[in-house]
Amino acid sequence: MSHPTVKELESDSLQSLSQAQVGCDFQIQFVEGPACEQLRNLGFCESLQVRKLANGRNLVCSVCGTRVALSSDLADQVKVSPLAPALS
Amino acid sequence: MEDSTDLVALAGNPNSGKTTLFNALTGSAAKVGNYAGVTVDIKRGETRTPHGAVLEIIDLPGTYSLEGGSPDQQIAREVLSGKHDRVPRPSLVICVLDASNLERHLQLALEVIELEIPIVIALNMVDLAEKTGIRLDPVKLAEELGVPVVPMQADKGKGIVELKQAMRHPFPAAPDEIGWEKGDAESRRAFGLSTSDLSARRPTAHTSTLSDKLDRVLLHPVWGWFFFIGIFFALFWSIFSWAGIPMGWIESAQEFLIGKVEGLMSEGDFRDLITQGILGGVGAVVIFLPQILMLFFFIGLLESSGYMSRAAFLMDGFMAKVGLSGKAFLPLLSSFACAIPGVMATRTIDSAKERLVTIFVAPWMSCSARLPVYLLLVPMLLGGREGGAKQALFFLGIYVLGTLTAFAVARILRGRLGPDEVESHFMLELPPYRLPQWNYIFRHVLDRGWAFLRKAGTTILGIMILLWAATTYPKLDSEDPGEVLSHTIVGRISDTIEPLVKPMGFDGRTGTAILTSFAAREVFVGSMAQLFQIEESDDEDETRGRIRDRLAAETWADGKPMFTMPAVLALLIFYIYALQCLPTSAVVAREAGSWKWAVGQFVFMTVFAAVAALLVYQVGTFFSS
Ligand SMILES: Nc1nc2c(ncn2[C@@H]2O[C@H](COP(=O)(O)OP(=O)(O)OP(=O)(O)O)[C@@H](O)[C@H]2O)c(=O)[nH]1
Ligand SMILES: [Mg+2]
Repeated sequence: MSHPTVKELESDSLQSLSQAQVGCDFQIQFVEGPACEQLRNLGFCESLQVRKLANGRNLVCSVCGTRVALSSDLADQVKVSPLAPALS
Repeated sequence: MEDSTDLVALAGNPNSGKTTLFNALTGSAAKVGNYAGVTVDIKRGETRTPHGAVLEIIDLPGTYSLEGGSPDQQIAREVLSGKHDRVPRPSLVICVLDASNLERHLQLALEVIELEIPIVIALNMVDLAEKTGIRLDPVKLAEELGVPVVPMQADKGKGIVELKQAMRHPFPAAPDEIGWEKGDAESRRAFGLSTSDLSARRPTAHTSTLSDKLDRVLLHPVWGWFFFIGIFFALFWSIFSWAGIPMGWIESAQEFLIGKVEGLMSEGDFRDLITQGILGGVGAVVIFLPQILMLFFFIGLLESSGYMSRAAFLMDGFMAKVGLSGKAFLPLLSSFACAIPGVMATRTIDSAKERLVTIFVAPWMSCSARLPVYLLLVPMLLGGREGGAKQALFFLGIYVLGTLTAFAVARILRGRLGPDEVESHFMLELPPYRLPQWNYIFRHVLDRGWAFLRKAGTTILGIMILLWAATTYPKLDSEDPGEVLSHTIVGRISDTIEPLVKPMGFDGRTGTAILTSFAAREVFVGSMAQLFQIEESDDEDETRGRIRDRLAAETWADGKPMFTMPAVLALLIFYIYALQCLPTSAVVAREAGSWKWAVGQFVFMTVFAAVAALLVYQVGTFFSS
């Protein structure tokens, strides 16, 4: 997995999972932060699809068919981009 | 023989069905539930292969990976890597994977393959995978990994025979070559993802499942709470209201037996022992069997439906205010059944300090042993039909009060322990909702009912006999029953402690009953039944009258009623807060790693209970006079 360039980070297509819109599908671009191993263990791996189901103090997402609840500071460590047809 | 049996370990991510498979293989009834972190300790059992060989099977707690994690996951890791101090390295690992989520579950299997232990993959939950539209190809998976793969559905027993076939000697060796770079997490992950894409192709369209729809309501910030409160109210209300009929049956059986014994035996100490001590005392406790069964039944429903994790999710915001996370709510919820598994379940909590706090407050979640006491006392407080809505609401209030106090103490204690070295965050799997496995639930409920009856037949029976002896001897030749009683051992104990408990509104006999309940809480009901029948024993009908009526008619020496509203309230408060369970203290000492915690907890809770009861009685009498 190559690390994103500054340009990519700034582009609007890349956003953190906590800011992402509810009800849409995204692709995980990279996971970075102190809890990234924990997140990967629960299925938040680069290139996988994730659907955000609910917002709030803890968000609910569905990743590889499993629903996972995670706190928004964890979700901040997951960077996603919208899947082609869903948004834009 | 013993040491030559091969050890087979069941490993896998949490909630993948390891224990279901363990039960199917060994015929045991280990605890199964639809949430992550049900099994927190090693379970052992035996199975026979189709060739007649005996294998020792061990069930491990679920783990996401072989690195990091909470204490329960560490146990699994130690066993798999051969570092556990009591379990030798297994000769075969059955890695249980959820076929509907292979991307994630396969990662652990790859890590185990790297350990070079013989491994068989049990590709579980094929029914779920098919329902989600995943195209499974177990043959392809076996080819890619170089290890045997057995597709199965553990809860229906499908694939068990095939799995046993695969467990025969020589065990399938670990593959010579692996398709990824050993020890490199990134390469392993990439291999896992591409393999699961090859062998479990996911449909591109994301369909909304029934669980998604249910969650939209049950996790909703407003509706979610509506259902949360509704579910718990329904639970306690039905425990309180529905059990009247089976209780009536047990009661009639008890009265019938007492009548029979009285008819058959001639009057004497031995007959009194049987009618008053055993049938009267133990019977008074056994009457509550239906309610206890119902409590376990409902908690079993919550655990197997998948609602547990939703409750934890909802509670997270509230729990954060007292310095705990939503995850700590799972062990606390289990403590409503019994504090011992609750304390054990704190092993799933990552943060050590949070875990200690949860252990400390868990016994304040009212357990099933308190049920008989509450059920005896609540109708004495509120008039009206037994089991009516008002009483049920009050009954629910008792549970809420215990829980809120637990949270308040947790908050204070959490503040004192200081922040964690490593910050931990809330992250919880929300498994799909499932219909309960009825046969498992009924077996579990029967097991618990049997355990309760065993306790009644041992601890409670023993204490009832002792108490009967202590209320009978030494004998005094006198016509006045009061004088006779005060001459006995109980009479003397009760006279000694009366000044101590009188400020709480209790007389010496209630005080003695409280003392006996330090052996087991349920004993209180039996002791009260015994201690408050002595004076009326000249009137046969009265003795058999319901214990509650007898208590209500009881008066102090000056003729004032004894069990007034403040006194009963104080008694209830005492039982909500007191820690009267030695096995719990033993488990706390073990899990917290020191006797100091157990002793501190016992002293704190007991003093708290006594002071709270004192305040309630004093304030109550002040306002009612
Ligand atoms: N649909 C389906 N459900 C299953 C199957 N096997 C097990 N389950 C259910 O999956 C849930 C989890 O089962 P457990 O056996 O407790 O899982 P575990 O792996 O022991 O979980 P932990 O002890 O928490 O690690 C239960 O609700 C089971 O009824 C299966 O093949 N198909
Ligand atoms: Mg288990």
